[in-house]
Amino acid sequence: MENLVKVTFSLNGRQVEAEVLPTMTVLEMIRRNFRLTAAKEGCGKGECGACTVLLNGEPVNSCLKLAASLTASDQVVTVEGLEKDATMQAIQSAFVSEGAVQCGFCIPGMTMTSYKLLQSNPNPDEHQIKQALSGNICRCTGYRKIEAAVKKASETRRNK
Amino acid sequence: MSSISFFRPANISEACELLAKPNHLAVAGGTDLIVKLRNGLFPNAAALVDISALPFKAIRKEGDRLLIGSGCTMSNVIASPEVKEYFPALVKAASTVGATQIRNAATLGGNVANASPAGDTIPALFSLEAEVLIVGQTGKRKVAIDEFFTGPGRSVLKAGELIEGFALPLRKTAGEFFKLGERRAHAISKINLALSVFNDGQKRYRIAIGSAAPTVLRCKGAEELLEKAGEINEAIIEKAAEFACETAKPISDVRSSKSYRKQMAGVLLKRALKAII
Repeated sequence: MENLVKVTFSLNGRQVEAEVLPTMTVLEMIRRNFRLTAAKEGCGKGECGACTVLLNGEPVNSCLKLAASLTASDQVVTVEGLEKDATMQAIQSAFVSEGAVQCGFCIPGMTMTSYKLLQSNPNPDEHQIKQALSGNICRCTGYRKIEAAVKKASETRRNK
Repeated sequence: MSSISFFRPANISEACELLAKPNHLAVAGGTDLIVKLRNGLFPNAAALVDISALPFKAIRKEGDRLLIGSGCTMSNVIASPEVKEYFPALVKAASTVGATQIRNAATLGGNVANASPAGDTIPALFSLEAEVLIVGQTGKRKVAIDEFFTGPGRSVLKAGELIEGFALPLRKTAGEFFKLGERRAHAISKINLALSVFNDGQKRYRIAIGSAAPTVLRCKGAEELLEKAGEINEAIIEKAAEFACETAKPISDVRSSKSYRKQMAGVLLKRALKAII
């Protein structure tokens, strides 16, 4: 018999409930139960960062976080939840204008990590951008354009 | 895996009781455990016991010790003003664990309890002469970090016991941590090394090497040499590096070879000493 666990938490600003299997990850839950499919499973072991979401404001690998561990005070934010956020919009525009997107699989994770970077450091240098994105892998090998996009997004935000 | 149960105990005694049962696995950050579960390394797992509700998240001074809760994430450790002030080797080691996403979830207790010979915070804790604070159903006990590990993935932790935290002698140290991996960020160590230096009337050196034997090793030969030397010059550094190479008893595996690791133990010690003087 399956042992379902009932969890309550905040997802993109809305308090939600779900019934999950003990071994289900946050990634599986947000994709299957809530149909939020921006976060992706690349490696499933915390190497690639395609599954990055914000948990209580900090980027984590949602593929390694048990959904059953979430509590009522936990806040999960995915790209979908930042649709109207000016910083995320600046990041997305910059990714497009810099041609930083090839296949696109890594991009939701890249933008989430970039979002957190720009929140905590509005003017990151090249090294800080690389450092921040070191947990996000792009296999189309587009890092230079991704770094340029983050730089550009930071300029857009500061000049606003 | 289909009949696994889930528990989130609210207090320590409940947690220890659950963990005393067969195949009940403790989960904290989950960054290692979830990967192992998925890879089928726990075919008999009966339950996951989420210990993140336990009061293991504080960092505080107590007498002549700094207590670091086992549930502190790498990011918590890195951001702690006390850890920064007293234990730079630990800050540097924690900063090299995984990438940001991992450091925001992985806990210090998990890194130690997993007992990987390559765990990056372990040599740092060795160099700082940490004690592991263990709590179980029958009470508490303390184990010196260099007596905690019994082999790769193995420790003195018994079923029904948990690491509550770590007690580090509260003294100012200078410290370095160096590791070699496949790339500069987000890599599992081929070999790593921590160096902490403090002064208790005399300059003391504490050196530990990881991923170079079944458990992390202190390099006492080099420590004594450096303490007796007084002034640290090029020749002493070379000699200390030889001790580090001798201390290392590595194997060849997927990440690196025996001979490379052995040689690099010396190189890392040289880098650490040069960085610190």
